[in-house]
Amino acid sequence: ILPVVAQGARHTPPGKPKLTSCRSPDKETFTCWWEAGSDGGRPTTYSLFYHKENSDTVYECPDYRTAGANSCFFNKNETSIWVNYNITVVATNALGNNFSDPVDVDVVYIVQPHTPENVTVGVLEDEDGPFLRVSWEPPRKADTRSGWITLIYELRVKLEEAEEWEEHRAGQQKMFNIFSLHSGGVYMVQVRCKPDHGFWSEWSTASYVKVPDYIPRERSMWIL
Amino acid sequence: CVHGQAGCHFLSLADLFDRVIQHSARMHSISSDLHSEFEQYVLPSRNHIGRINRHCHTATILTPNGKENAQRLAREELTEVILKLLVAWKDPLWQFHQNMVHQDDFNNFSSNKALEMSYMVHELRKGVEKVADRMQNLGMISNSLSGLSSPEALDPSSDTSGESQAMSDHDLLYCFRRDSNKVQNYLKILKCRIVPENGC
Repeated sequence: ILPVVAQGARHTPPGKPKLTSCRSPDKETFTCWWEAGSDGGRPTTYSLFYHKENSDTVYECPDYRTAGANSCFFNKNETSIWVNYNITVVATNALGNNFSDPVDVDVVYIVQPHTPENVTVGVLEDEDGPFLRVSWEPPRKADTRSGWITLIYELRVKLEEAEEWEEHRAGQQKMFNIFSLHSGGVYMVQVRCKPDHGFWSEWSTASYVKVPDYIPRERSMWIL
Repeated sequence: CVHGQAGCHFLSLADLFDRVIQHSARMHSISSDLHSEFEQYVLPSRNHIGRINRHCHTATILTPNGKENAQRLAREELTEVILKLLVAWKDPLWQFHQNMVHQDDFNNFSSNKALEMSYMVHELRKGVEKVADRMQNLGMISNSLSGLSSPEALDPSSDTSGESQAMSDHDLLYCFRRDSNKVQNYLKILKCRIVPENGC
């Protein structure tokens, strides 16, 4: 039999967990994530508790599963906006427990939408030569049609082999034209979105487009 | 379109909505700036202990706290909520600016912002009243808007003026930041219900 006692001397209550972020993709639901501290050498469980502004009633997390490990998901019915949620995570093992620092969250200010969808890039042409027309849809989850959430968009473009992206603000438009292209170049295009008070989404996966070979106008002037 | 220029008459309802929405966005962003300036510069020097419960003087105004609740309200009711919030802030913001003039905590810049907010809430209310008028003329909402004939009837500050006096500067900024955000959101919801074809 191994000397369990000697090993047991190193067992402690769990380390302090840390609430890392709370985000809402749609201003209608939200999720909080945390990082575990040390487990103190014993099986450790984590619980999330919250109470709302101006109320002493403490509730436990309604759903630990939907958003994956170390997370708590609040569905529509459990989400109110314009009210602060005071949130704490508790780590517990056989030797005791430890609390995270509490975090205050108003869902209005933690909105981070999903990436824009159906990003398409086409090559069109006018008298000055070809240009790119980028168009996209808002993320499905964000209900922009009702006015509940307003998104602004930004796109970035670069030649495949280039180092630097060139960024463009598209405002609330869902379409953007890009001019002055390199003849024969392959361009990468990405789009992201942001609500008026909140965080940028991730960039969409890059769309590639090849510009046909053409004689730029300046050069044709030269030849003439 | 506050001064009733001749051109104003030809603004579409959608344009009017866009104007009040822009105005409300600006108002909210000024209130956010001021609120964070306050947290950054004023609070640390005041030995602020813990977070206490805040009671906004507008807490008595029932406001929808989510999308579905906001959509469930009749257009008239939503319009009324917006007007109630705006009316309720007129006096406290004016008072706030007066107080700030005599304080060293804030610089001139912030004091000007406070004055601007107090004007903006007034202008915005007039704008929303104009929108409501137009909606009534177009038959898009009924004429049962209690506030339109006498906006003072909506003013809840008559019975809670004592409470608003007691609000600390920090609470006031906190509450106004929230209420101005509500106004902005409700206006957008209302616009998309009334003129959905315009950018919704």
